[in-house]
Amino acid sequence: MSATTPVFSVQGLWKVFGPKAGRVPADPELSALPPADLRSRTGCTAAVRDVSFDVRRGEVFVVMGLSGSGKSTLVRCLTRLIEPTAGTIAVDGEDVRAMDRTRLRELRRHRAAMVFQHFGLLPHRTVLDNVAYGLEIQGVGRAERRARAAGVVAKVGLEGMEQRRPGQLSGGQRQRVGLARALAVDPEVLLFDEPFSALDPLIRRDMQEEVVRLHREEGRTMVFITHDLSEALKLGDRIALMRDGRVVQLGTPEEIVGSPADDYVREFVRDVPREQVLTVRTAMRPASGDEAGTGPALPPTATVSQAIVAVARAGAPARVVDRGRCLGVVDHERLLGVVAGTEPAENPGENPGEHPAGNLAENSAEEPAKEVV
Amino acid sequence: MATATAPTPRAALPGVLRHPVARKLLLLAAAAAVLVPLADAHWSSGTWPKALTVDLTGPLTRTGDWIIDHRDSHPLFLHFLGHISNAVVFCVRAVYLLLLAAGWAGVTAAATALAWRAAGKRLALGTAAAFLACGALGMWVPTMQTLALMAVAVLASVAVGVVLGLAAGLSARLDRVLRPVLDTMQVLPAFAYLLPVVLVFGIGVPAAVLATVVYAAPPMARLTALGLRGADKEVLEAVDSLGATARQRLLTARIPLARRELLLGLNQTIMMALSMAVIASVIGAGGLGDRVYQALASVDVGAALAAGIPIVLLAVVLDRVTAAAGDTTGRTTGTGRGHRAYTAYAVGAAVAVAVAGRLAGRPDWPGSWTVAVAAPVNDAVGWMTGHLYSGVPVIGGTADWAGRFTTWVLDPLRDGLQGLPWWAVLLLVAAVAWPIGTWRTALTAVLALAATGVLGVWEPSLDTLSQVLAAVAVTLVLGFATGVAAARGDRFERLLRPVLDVFQTMPQFVYLIPVVALFGVGRAPAVAAAVVYALPAVVRITAQGLRQVDPAALESARSLGATPAQQLRQVQLPLARPALLLAVNQGVVLVLAVVVIGGLVGGGALGYDAVFGLAQGDLATGLVAGAAIVCLGLMLDRVTQPTERRTKKGA
Repeated sequence: MSATTPVFSVQGLWKVFGPKAGRVPADPELSALPPADLRSRTGCTAAVRDVSFDVRRGEVFVVMGLSGSGKSTLVRCLTRLIEPTAGTIAVDGEDVRAMDRTRLRELRRHRAAMVFQHFGLLPHRTVLDNVAYGLEIQGVGRAERRARAAGVVAKVGLEGMEQRRPGQLSGGQRQRVGLARALAVDPEVLLFDEPFSALDPLIRRDMQEEVVRLHREEGRTMVFITHDLSEALKLGDRIALMRDGRVVQLGTPEEIVGSPADDYVREFVRDVPREQVLTVRTAMRPASGDEAGTGPALPPTATVSQAIVAVARAGAPARVVDRGRCLGVVDHERLLGVVAGTEPAENPGENPGEHPAGNLAENSAEEPAKEVV
Repeated sequence: MATATAPTPRAALPGVLRHPVARKLLLLAAAAAVLVPLADAHWSSGTWPKALTVDLTGPLTRTGDWIIDHRDSHPLFLHFLGHISNAVVFCVRAVYLLLLAAGWAGVTAAATALAWRAAGKRLALGTAAAFLACGALGMWVPTMQTLALMAVAVLASVAVGVVLGLAAGLSARLDRVLRPVLDTMQVLPAFAYLLPVVLVFGIGVPAAVLATVVYAAPPMARLTALGLRGADKEVLEAVDSLGATARQRLLTARIPLARRELLLGLNQTIMMALSMAVIASVIGAGGLGDRVYQALASVDVGAALAAGIPIVLLAVVLDRVTAAAGDTTGRTTGTGRGHRAYTAYAVGAAVAVAVAGRLAGRPDWPGSWTVAVAAPVNDAVGWMTGHLYSGVPVIGGTADWAGRFTTWVLDPLRDGLQGLPWWAVLLLVAAVAWPIGTWRTALTAVLALAATGVLGVWEPSLDTLSQVLAAVAVTLVLGFATGVAAARGDRFERLLRPVLDVFQTMPQFVYLIPVVALFGVGRAPAVAAAVVYALPAVVRITAQGLRQVDPAALESARSLGATPAQQLRQVQLPLARPALLLAVNQGVVLVLAVVVIGGLVGGGALGYDAVFGLAQGDLATGLVAGAAIVCLGLMLDRVTQPTERRTKKGA
């Protein structure tokens, strides 16, 4: 598998629940029906409707949608915990739907591990044995799996709790166990199914930062399901926004916020603080005259809110500089336009492939500040 | 939506008919108006018509005779049933000899050690005290006989139950097949199981063990299936997502997750096995039950009590220890090593005590250490008979009460039922069953009652039914009142709980002893025993149902200024309706079980026929009575069948 092969490649995926589900994707008339009509005509519910996307190596791919939008079904289809009705799924180029039991088990054991909303821990086992469970399933010997599990337990910050049982842990700690269990088998991809929805807001933020840290340290590919927009914007390199089983928009957080595909998405992102998501690359205008030579310098990935700080300090427009080349400038008007939402985004994220995890406001906050000074 | 689909004609119906109950009853009345004149014209007689009776006595007697004649020659017996019978006898014998060989000291030490490891220090002390009390009452050998029989029966029940439960837990189709069968088996009185096994195996230990297994295995099977099915879906999904095979999934997730239910199943199986092992004394089980049975036959209350107390002690100890073992599931058990060391100490101590007992040459309970309770108890009973039975000023005596209850309640009820035309009784059953349940339950109930008529035991069945109805009425009045009081008063409930705990664990048979002492023999004592037996379950379910009413609903009623009476009437009782229906259902089932056993103390009717059949070797009479008991049980259960099935038998 080459570096460019997507980890997961999903094409035209359908999951229909109900009697004779197979006919729905096959029949163009049925597949075009809205959900309510489909249910009254056939008794079927289409949880996932004709979804296609690629998950690239090393990225955090977020699937976001309200409850009932089909996102949890979608992630379960990836490893066939739920059997898809139609479409293709490839993992590293290998057809998942064509796998036999043994091959599928291999996929689940070694390549994709999942973290669940309600943790799914075994209450009769200790933390250590829960974390080692995946290895036990694989037939790893007791001593080795315990040693490996102990390492992962330490990595998620649960040292000293190895001998406790899930019932004695708080929600956040339990989810750390769930995370450790998934990490222990050293999978290629981590699948998260709304892992933090059941947690308190503060704990949730801790856990999100934990995921960001793990991703920064290990660069593991992640597919992350959430119904929380701010979580999606915070974690996602790319976001697929789902509604009624369909993907209504797929793009970087900046694209989703900056140029919503339809009214539904627009309504969705209305309250997002745009200056924290949009970058100066979106907000800049071409430099005129001597502007290219003066003013504070910012990288193209700096957020608008960082630019505001720089511009306010300097009292002059800031330059957007990439590898010594001035791409454009941002001034008061441009920045205010972004905040107010009146500035039409012209070329949001023209090459999203370059997008690192830079939209995570926290960890990119310091670098541009240095350049400014 | 009803408003969208129902066309206007519905609105034209008179107001009364909009109520579903009224509609059902009206439909029933219409059906009756057509069917009753027809039936009456064909078979006009007050009691069940002869033309509709099938006399099974002949064929049953012939079957019984054939089995007795061929027991030693037919291949079915030689190569199959004979082996089962021999294996059972061998196992019981082996366990019994082992217990005797361990000696009283060894058995007590072993039981104490087991209780200590499973349930902690306090229960270990209680266990030791209970076993020593059994010895002190001079009942060591019968206790060991009962224990041996129970041990074999429980092992077999658990094996059978787990296999059936695994099948039903893993296969949805088997679950659909097994569930109604197991549910029905749980509502049938223990007595009904005795006769079929006697028909095949004759009176003796094998029959007793097999009847016990048949009676005690269903709860294990049901709870195993329930535990497997009730496992947290997300945990199982997580296990799947890690790539577990079906076997790994079962062994590492499903069975451990069902541990609580499995231990509860074990607890219930043990309790039911004890209950049945005692009742099975009627078919030759021996042991404690036999002592009680013999003593009751000669109305020797003292002797019955001496054997009854060990039964109660055994029941309480077994129940508490197994229940405590189940409760410790989630607890951390410290480090595994220390745990194992303690267990080793316990085993070592038990063995040491047993060996010491052997060396001291005292395997049997020393005769001089027994306390003769029979004589003083009989004196006390004699005093009671003399002073309390009758003629106590103002309140009258216990025998007077029993007599009055018989004359004023039982007799009119029985005569009334028997005086009604047969079709009227069936109609009445339908009219009660349909509004409570579905047309299906109502039909089953009517057919079950009709079956007693077809079997030719219409009159005794109605006699039993009248006793059941009287007992249920008393039970419900007392039970609901106590339940409401317990739900409203915390202190009262705290006082009540240990009493209920003890009463709920006692085998049915034991209840006959005090009522005979108080009321003599007859139908009234049978009813009294039934009331006492069924009461704890009814009180408990009622109190629990009332307490589990949504606190938010109650709080909102209180915030609107509802008085306690209004809260009870308008919020608690309506919301606890399912629990109350369940209480009625349980009450009816439990009452029937004891009313039937009441045949042993002069309750007459079906219970007497069954006992008579067993005692006289007249299997035909007994089997017909047994079948009628089954029908009556089915009928009573279906009549009171709330829409949702109970998950646990009350006793």
